[in-house]
Amino acid sequence: MFSGYNTKKRVAERYRIVGFISSGTYGRVYKAEGKNGRIGEFAIKKFKPDKEGEVQYTGISQSAIREMALCTELEHPNVVHTVEIILEEKCIFIVFEYAEHDLLQIIHHHNQPQRQAIPAKTIRSILYQLLQGLVYLHRNWVMHRDLKPANIMVTSSGKVKIGDLGLARLYYKPIHSLFTGDKVVVTIWYRAPELLLGSRHYTPAVDLWAVGCIFAELLSLRPIFKGEEAKMDSKKTVPFQRNQMQKIVEIMGMPSKDRWPLLTAMPEYGQLSSLAAGNSRFQRPQGLEHWYRACLKSNNYPPGPSPDTPGEDGLSLLQQLLEYDPQKRLSAENALQHPYFTTHSKPSENCFEDSKIKYPVRRVSQDDNDIRSGSLPGTKRSGLPDDSLIGRPAKRLKEG
Amino acid sequence: MASSYWDSTQRKFWTFTKQQLNLERKKLEESERNLVSMFPLPDRRLLSIYFYHQLSKMARPLGIRQQALATAQVYIRRFYTKVEIRRTNPALVLATALYLACKMEECPQHIRMILAEARHCWDVDTSFNDISKIGECEFTLISEMNSQLIVHHPYRSLAELQSQFQLIQEENALAWSIINDHYLTDLPLLHSPHQIAITAIVLAVVLKPTQGNLQPVQAAGVANALQTLGNARNGAAQGAQNRVQKLVDWLAESSVDMEAVVECTQELISLYEIWESYTDKTCKDQIAKFVKARGVDK
Ligand SMILES: Nc1ncnc2c1ncn2[C@@H]1O[C@H](COP(=O)(O)OP(=O)(O)OP(=O)(O)O)[C@@H](O)[C@H]1O
Ligand SMILES: [Mg+2]
Repeated sequence: MFSGYNTKKRVAERYRIVGFISSGTYGRVYKAEGKNGRIGEFAIKKFKPDKEGEVQYTGISQSAIREMALCTELEHPNVVHTVEIILEEKCIFIVFEYAEHDLLQIIHHHNQPQRQAIPAKTIRSILYQLLQGLVYLHRNWVMHRDLKPANIMVTSSGKVKIGDLGLARLYYKPIHSLFTGDKVVVTIWYRAPELLLGSRHYTPAVDLWAVGCIFAELLSLRPIFKGEEAKMDSKKTVPFQRNQMQKIVEIMGMPSKDRWPLLTAMPEYGQLSSLAAGNSRFQRPQGLEHWYRACLKSNNYPPGPSPDTPGEDGLSLLQQLLEYDPQKRLSAENALQHPYFTTHSKPSENCFEDSKIKYPVRRVSQDDNDIRSGSLPGTKRSGLPDDSLIGRPAKRLKEG
Repeated sequence: MASSYWDSTQRKFWTFTKQQLNLERKKLEESERNLVSMFPLPDRRLLSIYFYHQLSKMARPLGIRQQALATAQVYIRRFYTKVEIRRTNPALVLATALYLACKMEECPQHIRMILAEARHCWDVDTSFNDISKIGECEFTLISEMNSQLIVHHPYRSLAELQSQFQLIQEENALAWSIINDHYLTDLPLLHSPHQIAITAIVLAVVLKPTQGNLQPVQAAGVANALQTLGNARNGAAQGAQNRVQKLVDWLAESSVDMEAVVECTQELISLYEIWESYTDKTCKDQIAKFVKARGVDK
């Protein structure tokens, strides 16, 4: 424009920054309070410019564009609500409704000081709400692609909200682009087997594998498939995530052509046999059922059918979510029809209902209250030791 | 999929009645009365044709898909309902809209490539030489559109409907090109993509394209088609071709708004009419005048 870009709204006029929450792949998240008549608490995500301390406009990254567009378009009780987007001084700020908790933090709280299981009713409500959000996304042709505990928010009134649409995609767009744009999707522990095996034509089913992993993690308080990420080599070819696949097979057993007819068509299919060679555990995998029963037992869920245990229905749901064949895997819609949700009373819309557990509020640090400071320290999540404690895997790679 | 359009920002914020749209534009012109009277411009449809040519010139060497071009065209049209064109450098707005549309349509282009192509197809006096210009204009574009960047196109409805109507290949191609043409009019701001797709299909069937003879659509042809359609609807078309009659029956049975089809068709007819008076040069010169007068944006 002739007059240059003139911002119509200013962050500082509308919000007071309370503190710094987290630094992620694409930016930093701050806690804020409304100002000048705006009431309530907010989370403001500030996107970093591509180069740190950039003083010129260089074009907005594709993932930021996607996130802005999707946040503006989507509206559902189980998706984090976007209040507004502010473009100011070469920076982009997405203002979200504030969520006091997230699943990572909740799981973490149950891990210390000693392990104490998450109440079965809480888990059931979390999954129910999560799946409703996912039905909405999938109905609107949006794949989330990065579902993991840290990206699922929970408000103080127990409402579960899917967050971080930074990797989400509209999947009616040409299929090939889903693969070419960014080769690495979904934090490795929650990555579906078809992605690990190099599938190019993946579907919303990848999100349901992640839901399965999250379900298992809520039950056992540990990631079920905690693989080590193989790093991209210097030639930037995408490595086969051998260790991650191994972790899955150790519990689930080898995928078979009988159960997953398209298995042999997977680009990395050949890797599977080399995986099996010389690993005795593959001949006698633990089996998901065994894993499940051991987990319920060690976390003291009561035996026998009752609302205080996920019970047999929980096992059946988990098996259908952690189904190797993406075509056989439950859809979000069908998952909601599963007996796990339909027998007994309807799951609560408040995941904390009937729970006596008090969760700590989100930690907010004061190190970096200056939302406008241009240069960003390279360290990630400096204010939050939680992550490093549990040893989360490396962040997803940044895409172009 | 219909559900996703129904709740979309496109339907909620970027679909207008003709009156609303006229009002918006009037407001805009009145706020810039001086500029407007100083720099007369060709008909909006002629400008749109020119913009399309310029966009295509940038897009072709980069192999950018039609859908991204279409999205860019919609962005430009939306933007100019909110910002008076004479306040802008259209060369910059076009390049930026294309750059942004490519990212949204999952065929991203490097900002330098867009800049290079833009410099290629505009004269020095309307050109600009820095990627930061595009970057800055991107902020303006997004902010004027309130970050509402997802555009639903009729192409998808066409793909869904073509099997239902058993379109032959030529009809499908013709419907596709009619959809391409509708971006040169206000139709994307007036009707749903589904409505546009149906109009395109109806016209394609009635216009009966013959193999290997895909001529540009002409106003008279479309007007005739409208006539044929009307006759078929009134049951007055003796020996009307079977296909057309079948189509009309289908339209009557399903809840298609035939008045809207007629409206869309008329919009297209007037586009094809005015197209005959189109010259690149007029548009180019008039644009250059106000861009130059307002100080070159380099
Ligand atoms: N609405 C919110 N309310 C409170 N905290 C939030 C909110 N949204 C995000 N956060 C916090 O900020 C963190 C990072 O947010 P988000 O996942 O959107 O950013 P990201 O840059 O994509 O991060 P990552 O790469 O770690 O996924 C979240 O894990 C959460 O702890
Ligand atoms: Mg995240």
